[in-house]
Amino acid sequence: MGQITATLDKTIKEFLRQKTILFWTIAWPILWVLIGSFSYVGNASEEVIPYIRGSITISMMAFALMTAGMANLPGNIAEDRERGLLSKLMSMPIKPWRDFVGRILALLAFSSLAAILVALVGYICGARFSYTMIGGWQSIGFLLLISFASAGIGMLIGTFIKHVHGAIMTGVGMAVITAAVSGVMAPYSTLPSLLQHFARIYPISSANSSITYLLVGEDYAGYDPLSASQTTLTIVISLLLFVAGLITYSRFCWRKE
Amino acid sequence: MDAIYAEKLTKKYGDNEVLKEVNLRIEEGEFYALMGPNGSGKTTLASIMASVRSPTSGKIEIYGRKPEKAKELIGYVPQENFSSPILTGKENLMYFAGLLGYSRNKAERIVNELLNKIGLSEDANKRVSVYSGGMRKRLEVATALFPGMKILILDEPTTGLDPSARRKFLGLIEELRGEKTTILLITHIGADAELASRVGLIDKGEIIAEDEPERLKKASGLSNVINIETTIKSEKVANVLNNFSVKQKVLETDVGYRVYCKDVGKVTPKIVRSLDAIGCKATKIETEKPSLEDVFFKLTEKMVREVS
Repeated sequence: MGQITATLDKTIKEFLRQKTILFWTIAWPILWVLIGSFSYVGNASEEVIPYIRGSITISMMAFALMTAGMANLPGNIAEDRERGLLSKLMSMPIKPWRDFVGRILALLAFSSLAAILVALVGYICGARFSYTMIGGWQSIGFLLLISFASAGIGMLIGTFIKHVHGAIMTGVGMAVITAAVSGVMAPYSTLPSLLQHFARIYPISSANSSITYLLVGEDYAGYDPLSASQTTLTIVISLLLFVAGLITYSRFCWRKE
Repeated sequence: MDAIYAEKLTKKYGDNEVLKEVNLRIEEGEFYALMGPNGSGKTTLASIMASVRSPTSGKIEIYGRKPEKAKELIGYVPQENFSSPILTGKENLMYFAGLLGYSRNKAERIVNELLNKIGLSEDANKRVSVYSGGMRKRLEVATALFPGMKILILDEPTTGLDPSARRKFLGLIEELRGEKTTILLITHIGADAELASRVGLIDKGEIIAEDEPERLKKASGLSNVINIETTIKSEKVANVLNNFSVKQKVLETDVGYRVYCKDVGKVTPKIVRSLDAIGCKATKIETEKPSLEDVFFKLTEKMVREVS
């Protein structure tokens, strides 16, 4: 058992045993899938409704990944710091990067579980997708990018906001607000022009649109998020956020006073 | 051999000098207590030894090595309750075993031994959130007892524990002492410090006295202490009692005052009369031998801990 496995094991248990985490990451998106699947379909035709439900399900999968990265991860970091665990770890012969990898793997595992459950509920509610094998793999890649970008933002929050509740609430707030204004929760076409620009730059939104484009269709994405320039932008900004979070976390959380 | 050696160790935060050229030598297997009030620099000193903080200047060595090169020898137990409340006691220890690189089988064996040692075998599979303060602290001490850890640094471990939990905890420390572990106990409780073979009194970042507990008491020149429990604690009462005390200063305690004087027999009736005169009833008056907290008070005219 190494440091990475130990951290992964501890973090995933903590995620799975905290009701607040389970609520915001799993129950809340599922609730919105249920509400959205039956309330937001309007007067759409019978053939279109399954795809609207598919689009809602994808958005809620993205939202689950956002809250996992932006609220659960910083909450976990802030809690470990607040209760003196980081001080204890600094006194031990361990490597900070292994702690980081363990936490990220736990986050990915927990996020995957949340996304699968949301997808399952969406499917039960009648969501349908049309995809190719390549499209499916590409979608998984975009889901990973959402996780990385969210984790990057989460690490920034966890590093600078010292208290657990502050970190969690900031993360939840940031996830809800950015999801609302960037087209994760509302169709891209309904956004004002300024927010449409933001939706293209904000990698979580553009990755969400890319998945929607791949699994549901161009009409539901609102624009072509898979153009070479847009895809490059999505990948680069996602990874930049992740690296910025990683550097900040290792520099400030593990820094000796 | 020196387990811990510090020479002219200084730590500054801006203009605030938290540690001022501290010299300290703790031998292998020694039980050393560092006692001082809040803000005296004792936690800073412990965290430098545990390589959580860096000194501004001076030298610090753990078995002749820099602290960051001797991390495997140090078991540091910070003041905070760092164990995860939503994991069980055993899961917490398995986490630390994993961090130290033990295989699952070996970790399982060592963790079971540790749980047995700290008396938590029966509660091993309960979540830490249901543990009492004493159980949680013992669990956290266990994280500093993995094989190879030669120095145990305990930062205010008994703070907040009830008397029974405190006794049980100190019993564990006594057991460890028999195993030749070097123990550094950071505390502001005189009775805890008395268990150590040597005590350092720290104030404003300086070690102001250091010796065996009994020798410290002898050197302080304090012979007798009158411990008074009163119904009222006020400035007026303290002023009356000050007249009977050495240096005209009494130590306030949780339940009353401690008066330092040479001739207890003569002074006690006078104290009772004076208190009566101002309408203050002494519920208990007894003569005691000086404690380390009295010694600290004598040296600094400050209380080592806040009274409730």
